[in-house]
This record gives sequence, structure tokens and C-alpha cells, in this order.
Amino acid sequence: MKPVRSDFWHSDGHRLSGLSTLFLLAPFFAVIAFVFIYPIVQLLVISVTEPHPTLDNYARVVGNPVYARVLARTLWTATLVTALSVILGFPVAYYMSRARGAVAALVAVCVILPLWSSVLVRTAAWSILFQRNGLINSALMGLGLTSQPFKLLYTQSAVVIAMTHVLLPFMILPIYGALRSIPNDYTRAAAVLGATRWRTFIEVILPLSLPGVVSGSLLVFLTALGFFITPALLGSPQEMMVSTLVSQQIREVLDWPFAAALVGVLTLFVTLLAVIFSKTLRFDRLMGAAS
Amino acid sequence: MNIASARQAVSGASIRISRLEKRFGAVSAVDGVDIDIAAGEFIALLGPSGSGKTTILMSVAGFEFPTSGSIHVDSEDLTYVPSNKRNLGMVFQNYTLFPHMSILDNVAFPLKMRGLEKAERHARAEAALETVRLGGYGKRRPNELSGGQQQRVALARAIVYRPRVLLMDEPLSALDKNLREDMQLEIKRLHAELGITVIFVTHDQSEALTMADRIAVLKDGRIQQIGPARELYERPANLFTAGFIGEMNFVDVTVERATDAVAVRLPWGETWSLPASAVVEPVRAGESAVLAVRPERLQFGAGTAPVVKVTLSDIVYAGSALLLIGRLADGTEMRARIAGASDVGHLAPGDIASFSVPMEALLLYRGRD
Repeated sequence: MKPVRSDFWHSDGHRLSGLSTLFLLAPFFAVIAFVFIYPIVQLLVISVTEPHPTLDNYARVVGNPVYARVLARTLWTATLVTALSVILGFPVAYYMSRARGAVAALVAVCVILPLWSSVLVRTAAWSILFQRNGLINSALMGLGLTSQPFKLLYTQSAVVIAMTHVLLPFMILPIYGALRSIPNDYTRAAAVLGATRWRTFIEVILPLSLPGVVSGSLLVFLTALGFFITPALLGSPQEMMVSTLVSQQIREVLDWPFAAALVGVLTLFVTLLAVIFSKTLRFDRLMGAAS
Repeated sequence: MNIASARQAVSGASIRISRLEKRFGAVSAVDGVDIDIAAGEFIALLGPSGSGKTTILMSVAGFEFPTSGSIHVDSEDLTYVPSNKRNLGMVFQNYTLFPHMSILDNVAFPLKMRGLEKAERHARAEAALETVRLGGYGKRRPNELSGGQQQRVALARAIVYRPRVLLMDEPLSALDKNLREDMQLEIKRLHAELGITVIFVTHDQSEALTMADRIAVLKDGRIQQIGPARELYERPANLFTAGFIGEMNFVDVTVERATDAVAVRLPWGETWSLPASAVVEPVRAGESAVLAVRPERLQFGAGTAPVVKVTLSDIVYAGSALLLIGRLADGTEMRARIAGASDVGHLAPGDIASFSVPMEALLLYRGRD
């Protein structure tokens, strides 16, 4: 490929000079530093310095079985939501990657449209569906499947279902991207070499779409860990998740150091997970020859 | 099983493509194509893009089902059989090695699909890699190999299950010139060793001429001519093939007489009587026609044969050959290719040069309408 030549890209043709790189990235880093890094660091500092320099706050998070259970529940919920998103999202992404024309556009709109409405609206919609005499219970009773309405609202199931719904697009889109980048000729090559459609999928399509599955899972899992609105509106107060607990500690109990320690544990966990994924899964190697 | 006996076990299948038609909406990509391919034959489908050559190959591979017509391999009707049941080998333009598998696993893939034990399929894959002279490369990943090596792996993968037909879709067009010539020899060698039937799609005529036993020239979904390289080059069946294969001079003429010996009037008023062998397409008196002659058949200087006079515009020395480009009095371009060592030192652009035209080199076609 010929190097692009223009004044903006400077004389060597491919690379920005150090100064213009800095200049272009500065606003982004300024915003990130100000609204993200600074508050997080402050919070982490609070978690080990107040009321006096100590690790007691962390000892409470890990030591108290109530809080340990909240952490475990949060991890479990995020895992469940991620697993459900893969199971529900992969077929949709696969279909999207194969569909053509109007059908493809329709599916894409159905996947992307919910992203344009607020999480609050989507969660509120679920609380209407989950009510004692809401659509789901009336349908179940109308069909004679149950005589008593189920308790759906304010349960962990409601939280998992609604979170899966809200986060599903973040699973579908990366998988779709990975599937679309698999050249059509691979499918043809596999077929002519004797693979049935199912074997082609298992041996070729699925492994090559894994980077999409992994990035989708990371997105969904990490977002689910800190999810607030949905657990707060649909969940049971007896089955708290970390985000609702943090909010409670800050707004009701006014125990900032402890809330900060909870955030610290969550941050540590998220960082560890991101590092492990990026180190163990060599995407460049996996996809190297696809280019 | 050793490699030598494996090779002997393989032989090509015959292929019969009959009245093949493929329409995409109102467009006919393939429009009534018949090709009979003998067992072990190497056939090239040659044509510009959109000529239907790839669609024919896709139909043989089973990626496209024809609108009508049939494809038989060894008298077995494969027209609507799915790709994975056809047992054909195929090499694609972009190698299509699976990037997440090692080279060995790539080559063993078709054997795995056929349910072979791991040890046996690895042994046979390794043997196939030896045949393309890439033994010991099995542990590497596709992206660690050069384009030429990747295409040889693709070749090994296409022959490892001993298919009787090998389909190749412009397999060399992604390689640079030197590699392409190496690979041409490699493919020729494999074809000779395995006795496999090859259908080779290309838009590169020199590739088709040097590699194939027979070449099918295609345009607009129809076969223009099918025959060995020599026949295509020496006696193209129509104006399209004449212009598409190699270089050709064309002169518009008028038919004076079509009975007995054909005679034509040239733009500058002379009338030439043509030998019967020159008449490729039948013509009628009074009609316009086209006289064609290869640049290398023109002889520099006036001789016993009829002569054309050309005002030179370019003299290009290219080592082995000397290309003289000029125009006839009516503006028609004429090219002559003579030996590079010819002494034409006195000639300069603007000069008038005479060339004698051997009668047996002339070809006559119906006029362009």
C-alpha cells in the first residue's frame, strides 16, 4: 500500500509526530483524568486513610459475611447475565451477519433502537410487565398455567432478565462485527473440503468469532458488575448488589470510607479481569492471518 | 501408506458441462455453456471479468446452483449436490487457510471431515506438505508464511484427500511475478504427478496459454472458442478471440469476390486474393470484412509477398524484439515485431517503412457491426 501523503500526516507519510499526537489526544485525556481518574483515586485514598490510615474498611468488606454475600451475588448475577447474553445474542448476531437487504436492516434496527432509549425507561417497562397483575402474570393465569400470580417484581430473577435485556446489544454488536469480518470464502473452503454446515460452524466460524464473544462478554460482565438502576428498581432490598450497597452506604449510612472500600474491591476485580483477558487471549495471533 | 503408492492411486475424472445457464435476475452470467473435459486434462477458463468464468467454476464447486443445464463428473450428476458431498479439490485466490489452525491442521482438515484417525490424518497431511515442498512447516501458523507458501499449503490441503478434480480460482493473481512463475511450474508438476483433472480460472492469457492443455475463451457468459493454445493463437475463431489472445493487427476491408478464391479490397485500393486457409468466417461479396495478422508475422522490407506501407510513429527496442508501431494511410494502427538484432538504424519516426505480408499469416473475419 502506498503511504498517504499530506501535510497533516507529516512527511514520513504514516505516523503523526509526537507533538500533534499529544495535541489531538489532550482533550480526551483531560476529560478522563478530571471526571474519572481523579474521583476514583480520591475514593481509593479515602478507603485506606479514613477514619485513620488503615485497611479496616477492606477487612469489613471481606470479613463480614453479609457484605461478602453481596459481592458473591454481584459476581454471580454478572456471570449469569453474561452467559444469558451469549446464549441469546450469538444467534441474533449470526443471523444479522448472514441476512441481506431489508431483513438485515430490520434486525439491526431492533438491536440498536433500544440503545437510544434510556435504561430507566427500559427498566420501568419491565416493572410494568413483572407486576402482580402485570402482563406476564395475567397471561400465565389466562392460559391456566397457574392459579396464583407469581412474585416476579423485586426478585433477583427480574434483575437478571432486565439486565440481560439492557446489556444484550453490547454482546450482539461485537459478535456481529467478528462474524462479519470472517471472509465468505472460509465457509466455501470448508464446504468444498467436506465439512457439513454444522462442522463448518463448529470448526471455523465459532473459533473465528471468539474474539467478538470475548469482547462482548467483557463489556457485558464489567458493565453488569457496576449496574445500578435495574437492581435498584427491580431487585429485592434483601438481595442487594454492590452498586446498591455503595449507594446506600453513601446516601443513607454516610459511611464514605466503607463505600470507597467496596468500590476499591470492585475496581481491583475489574482490573484483574481485564488484564487476565488481554494477556491470555492473543487476539492478534488469533486473527493474524485473516487480513 | 507411502506417498508413491498414494499418487498412483489417484487419477482424474472426466467432466461434462452441458447447456449450463445461470441467471441473476435479468442478467445471464452463464448463457448456454457446453464443455467436455477429458480425465486428467488441464483446462483453463479465460475471459475478462464478467465473462462468466468464475460462475462456471462456482457451479462445478457447488457454491452456485445453475438455472438450467447439468454438470456430470464421471457420468455422475452433481448439478445440485452440495459442495461437501462432491469430493472436489479447490484452491482459492486468497489462500483461505484457516487462521486459527496450524498449517498441519489446515492440511488435515478435509481428512478430519472424512473421519480419519488423528495419527493417520497427520501422517497424510505431512506427506501432502512434502509434495508441495513444505515438509516441516506443519507447526507454523498461516500468518507466519509468505503468500507463495500459503498458496502451496492451500494446494496441499486441496489434494490431501485425493480428489479426482482440482478447481482453481485465479490462484496466482495475488502473488508477485516471480512467485507466480514458480507456482505455475509447481501446479504443472503436480498435475503431471497426480494425473488429476484441473479446471483453472484466470484472466491472464499467458498463464492460460503456458499451463493448460485446452483453453476455453469466454465472453458475456458464452464460449467464444475452446481449443489448445496453438489453435487459439494461430487461428482464433472470431474477432473477439483474435483481439483477446495476444497482439493482432486489424485492417477493415471490403469483400470483392467470395466465390472460388476470396478477394478483398484494402483501404489504399489494392485488391488481394486470399488463400482459402485465410477465410476463418464465411463472407459475401460486397460486405465489409476484417483482415487480421499477428505483428510478428510481418516481415521488414519489400519481398515477393504483398506489401503494406506504414508511416512509423514509434520504434521500441525491447532486447529480444524490436516493435515498430505505425499507421496506414487511412490511420489504422499497424504493429510489427521483428528480431531485436535487426538492422533498422536508419529508420526514425515519420519514415515510411514497407513490410511484406505472408499470405498464410492472414486471417479474414466478418466485419464488425
